[in-house]
Parts: sequence; C-alpha cells; structure tokens
Amino acid sequence: MPQTLFQKVWDRHVIRAAEGATLLFIDRHLIHEVTSPQAFDGLRLAGRKVRRPELTYATVDHNVPTENQLDIRDPLSRRQVEVLRANCREFGVSLLDIQSGRQGIVHVIGPELGLTLPGLTIVCGDSHTSTHGAFGALAFGIGTSEVEHVLATQTLWQGARPKSLGIEVTGTLGSGLEPKDIILAIIRKIGTGGATGQVIEYYGPAIEALSMEGRMTICNMSIEAGARAGMIAPDDVTFDYIARGSRPYAPKGATLDAAIRDWKTLRTDDSSAFDRRITIDAGSLVPQVTWGTTPAMTVDITGVVPNPEDVPFASPDDARRALEYMGLTPGTPVEQIPVDLVFIGSCTNGRIEDLRTAASIFRGRKTAPGVRAMIVPGSEQVRMQAEAEGLDRIFTQAGAEWRQSGCSMCLGMNPDKLTPKQRSASTSNRNFEGRQGPGGRTHLVSPAMAAAAAVTGHFTDVRHLV
Amino acid sequence: MEPFVTHRGRLALLDWTDVNTDLIIPARYLKRIERTGFGPLLFADKRYAPGGAPEIDDPERHGPENPEFPLNDPALKDATILVVGRNFGCGSSREHAVWAVQQAGFRAVIAPVPGEGFADIFESNAFNNGLLVIELPQADWEMIAKASHTAPGRAEATIDLRQQKITIEPVDGIPAASLAFQVPESQRHRLLHGLDAIAETMAHEPEIDRYERSAPEWSLPSGVA
Ligand code: SF4
Repeated sequence: MPQTLFQKVWDRHVIRAAEGATLLFIDRHLIHEVTSPQAFDGLRLAGRKVRRPELTYATVDHNVPTENQLDIRDPLSRRQVEVLRANCREFGVSLLDIQSGRQGIVHVIGPELGLTLPGLTIVCGDSHTSTHGAFGALAFGIGTSEVEHVLATQTLWQGARPKSLGIEVTGTLGSGLEPKDIILAIIRKIGTGGATGQVIEYYGPAIEALSMEGRMTICNMSIEAGARAGMIAPDDVTFDYIARGSRPYAPKGATLDAAIRDWKTLRTDDSSAFDRRITIDAGSLVPQVTWGTTPAMTVDITGVVPNPEDVPFASPDDARRALEYMGLTPGTPVEQIPVDLVFIGSCTNGRIEDLRTAASIFRGRKTAPGVRAMIVPGSEQVRMQAEAEGLDRIFTQAGAEWRQSGCSMCLGMNPDKLTPKQRSASTSNRNFEGRQGPGGRTHLVSPAMAAAAAVTGHFTDVRHLV
Repeated sequence: MEPFVTHRGRLALLDWTDVNTDLIIPARYLKRIERTGFGPLLFADKRYAPGGAPEIDDPERHGPENPEFPLNDPALKDATILVVGRNFGCGSSREHAVWAVQQAGFRAVIAPVPGEGFADIFESNAFNNGLLVIELPQADWEMIAKASHTAPGRAEATIDLRQQKITIEPVDGIPAASLAFQVPESQRHRLLHGLDAIAETMAHEPEIDRYERSAPEWSLPSGVA
C-alpha cells in the first residue's frame, strides 16, 4: 500500500497503539515561558523529573519587549520569564535566553539551531509548531497538560492516526507574490475548519521552488485551516539548509550522510495515498489581504470588502459582526483602506528572506505620513544577519523602526500592541478580534504587501511597486 | 482529574462560529502562572463593558458587564452546559481557554458537527482537564440550541457519558428529546474514571525504554548523545 510522508513519520514513532489510542515518541520538545509554568508545577507536585532534558529546549519570546529586551518593565511578564529560568535550572533544561545570541521566537530558532530535522516528531505548547513541518517533521502544538506529559515521559497520547490531506500547488508564483499569498489563498478556499483533524502535506512545483523560509511560512499557518500539522517532503533544499550555516545541534559528517540517506525515503509514495486532495494554481494568484476576523475572511487586493451575505464559511450574522469590528463598509475597494501601523515580523514572516523582501520595497522610499512601521526580526540570529546585510539601515532610512527579536505585535502580551480601532497591515498569522491588542483591527498580508502599505499609507497592489 | 459520569444542568447558548481562544481568554491574562483564577476572565473582552475587564493579577475585580453579550443574560448565571457554534476553540493552543470555561462553571460544551465542532488542540486540552466536549449532528445540535434559545435559564439537559446520551428536559412546549453522541473510547474511559494520563503512561515505561534504544543516532541533537 502506498504511504504518505505523514504516515511514514507517524508509524516510525508509535510505541503502542490500541483501541483508537496511540502512544507516540517525541524527539524534540520546545518550550516557552507562557505555556510551561503550570506544567513544571505539576511535575514538582508529583515529584517527577524531566525524562529527557537533552531533547528539551526553551526560549523566551512572547513577553520579551522588542525595544530593549533587557528592560522588562511589566512585573508579571518579568515573573513569567524568571519562572522559566528557574524551572530550566531546576530540571536541567537548556535555555536559549536573552543575550545568548540564540534567543528568538521558538519556531524561528528550532530550525536555526538544527533541532528541527526531517522525520522527527516535534511538539511545543504553541499552535504554530506546525512551522517545523516544512522540514518533513511531524510537528504540532499541544496544551499545558500535554507539555507536562511530554516532560515526564517523552511521549504523547494521540487518537488513531489522523487523515491526510494532500494540497498540490501548481504553477509559478508571479512577481510580487509570496508564500504568504499561497497559504492565505488555501485557507480562504478550505475555511478555518477545512483541515480539522487532518494532517496537510503541501507538494507540487510551486512548493518545491520555495526556500525553507517560504516553506515554513506555509506550514506555519496550517493551524489556521484547523490542521493538526502541515508537512513538506524534505529535498536538497532541506538538506542544504541543515548542512549550511551554524546549526550546533544538527548532525554532521558521517552521521549527516546517514541521516540524508534515511530522509530521502520520507516522501509520499503516490498521491493516491492521501485521504483527500485539492489543487491550487499559484500562477493565477494575486496578492491576498484579510478583511475580517478570521484568516479565511480574505480577498484579492484588487477586490472589495464583501457583503455579509456573500462570505463563505461564516453566517451573515458572524460576517456582520466582523465588518462592524473591523469598521468596514461592504463594497469598499481594498486599495482604499488606510493603515495606521505596519508590523513585519512573527514566526510566520520574521525570517531573513521576509526582511530582504520587505527591504526591497522600502529601499529608496519613505513610510507614508502618519504610518508607524515596525520591523521585528524573528530571532537574534536573523537580526544579526539582517544588520550584516545592511537591511536595518534601509528600514531606518525609510522611517521604519528596527527592533530586537520576539513575538512583538503578533499578540497582545508585551508592550507592542494596537490601540482600539487602530488598523494594521501585519505579516503575522491571526486577525482575530483583539489579537494585536483589545479593539485593534488586523489585516494579514505578505511582507511585500505590508511594506507597500507602509510606503503608500493604504493597502496597495505591490505588483505596481516591484 | 474529577471523573465525569453523568451531569444534569442548565443550558447556555453562544451561537457564534469560529470562537477562537484569544476571544475565550485574551493573551494578556496568560501572564498568570497559576492554573486557577481564570473563571472571571472568560470572554473578558466581550463580557465586560469597555474598560471593565479585570486586571491580570486581580481577576475578581471588574467593571460593569456588557449587557449585549449573550452569556451575560442573568438567567444563565447557573448554566453548566455551554452550547456553541462550529470550530469552537480554534487558534492558539492555550489550555488557559479550557481552564477559563471550566472555572466559569461549565462541565460540558456542545458544538455541531462531528469532526468540525472543536479545534483539535482545544479538544485534547478539554479531555485532559475533564471538560466533556460533545459534537452533535447538525439537526440534533439545532434541537438543543433551540431549547437553550427558547427558554434561557430554564432549559436543562442530562448528559450520561456511560450511555453516551443527552436527554433534553421538556420546556415551554418543546418536548423531551434524547440524543446520542460519541466521544473517542480512550477519552471516555479516562473521563469516566478520572485517570491521570502520566501515571498511565509510566506503566508503559519498558516499551518507552525499548523505543529509545532503537532511535537512530542522527535523531539525537548533535553533541549531546
Ligand atoms: S510570533 Fe505570534 S504566533 Fe508565533 S509563537 Fe509568537 S505569538 Fe505565537
């Protein structure tokens, strides 16, 4: 029977399967400060240890101020960071802390460090763990009780093996188009619950043509379609990424050669092995912009704000609530919607390529009057690389802010927040009500589209600027 | 974990789809490092009038409520069964969302339709905390939603996890009804007995040991093997 990539990785990790329950071995456990304190408390209460501290890596990202990482003024944020430090010390877990040169958003640093590899199972108390699937790993988010379970046992209970959804992306992305447009178009097509309970594999020529950064952007937002995980088969692009650069935890020498021989078998044998399949054509895409309060509420940049009766996957009542929250009138051309703030960063689009793309739009231009633009590298490594390439100067010369790494304005948890009714063009992954701060209005776009909005003051078809 | 066998309680309806975990519990409250105190923070940015949401470290103190938020109907004060729209709990993995629902007094949440009612991570988190999540076929869900809508605060149901059956009590001319549901067998077993998953897993330690010994060298982080 032909198997999918996902089935192969899943089957390799089954310790026990009975009565619809599966015990999976977990190869990597990533931890951050927000979803772990109660898990460590649980261990302490039960007198348990971390079973495999050498497979467990922590960082601080959600609470870290990106203006000055060292200056955590909010006492509750500071406490959360300090509690993680104390827990890592007590339980012997490695912490990639501020000032280590390796701190960053957990899903940006895993691949950078060489912790993320094909064929592994990777979990983290964070839904965007799906990002790591870009390497052909089975990676998914878990809750705090499960974090405690993995800490104590290095395993996780799952149900029966999930169904697989093959998404073929054909064609070639046009100029000004980005991986973000592909994933937004997919979510728009299948809905926020379109892949619930399923594992997506993305494949096809438009996927193979992408860098690892681009593949991570796509897998990152799998959860926004409800998927358990998103995966892409590893290939030479993947192997090169792992072998190059400074990736302290990646296999090297003969071990790497053996690994690559193994990884080459991690492919879907035949697309008939998927439980369900859909195809989208990258060549026909235009830049995507979300107008509403779910990532499926998306339109083309050339389109208009829809009527509440015409919104797929939402009842007219839901759609009306979204329009009201966003302060939008049906029929308004998207290009006429002004923005107050532009946020370029997050685990979706805070990697070096994203910053290069944004810089190519900012170069020689200025942010529009009244628009604040924040550029937030996803990790300290990304920050240093961008500075070595001079990208920071392009941003600051354009009047944008160049900041330190962290989750920043992706979620309203650190000082970077929208104020009520402020409207953003954001490269992050969620446009939920209040996600970037209570009352804030988020439009999700690609880095190029965000930069275009920054320099024109409203949503703009970036294809006219490239 | 508190076992769940049967429960009779009042129904409350929140007929919105795609209710995400940022809405259920806004991110700023995740700075709490305890598992408790989340009840008053449930739907904080919807439930209180602007400016009325509690401070992070003082959840019990809040400003006036927003009268338009469906769950603020005073008749629903004692409701213990929450009836919601499709894809409830989507978005972030935060288990705090489940703690908030539970600590606000709910024992069970009911959504339409099988396979689409709840986001995956929310569902796992719910079972791990003894919050029963039930997905009903559309027509059955509409029946229970109608009872909740017609007789707020008086509509009641009994959930029997052993029989996997919901009985809607007759109210305001709506006749009694009995609805079958299904939760995964392993979850049902854990819930019925209030089992601790970690203790259960540790009973399989020899199998975990055996698996670990067979792991290929490349699968270990370099330099720590
Ligand atoms: S950048 Fe945003 S989505 Fe990514 S881990 Fe941080 S808060 Fe979560």
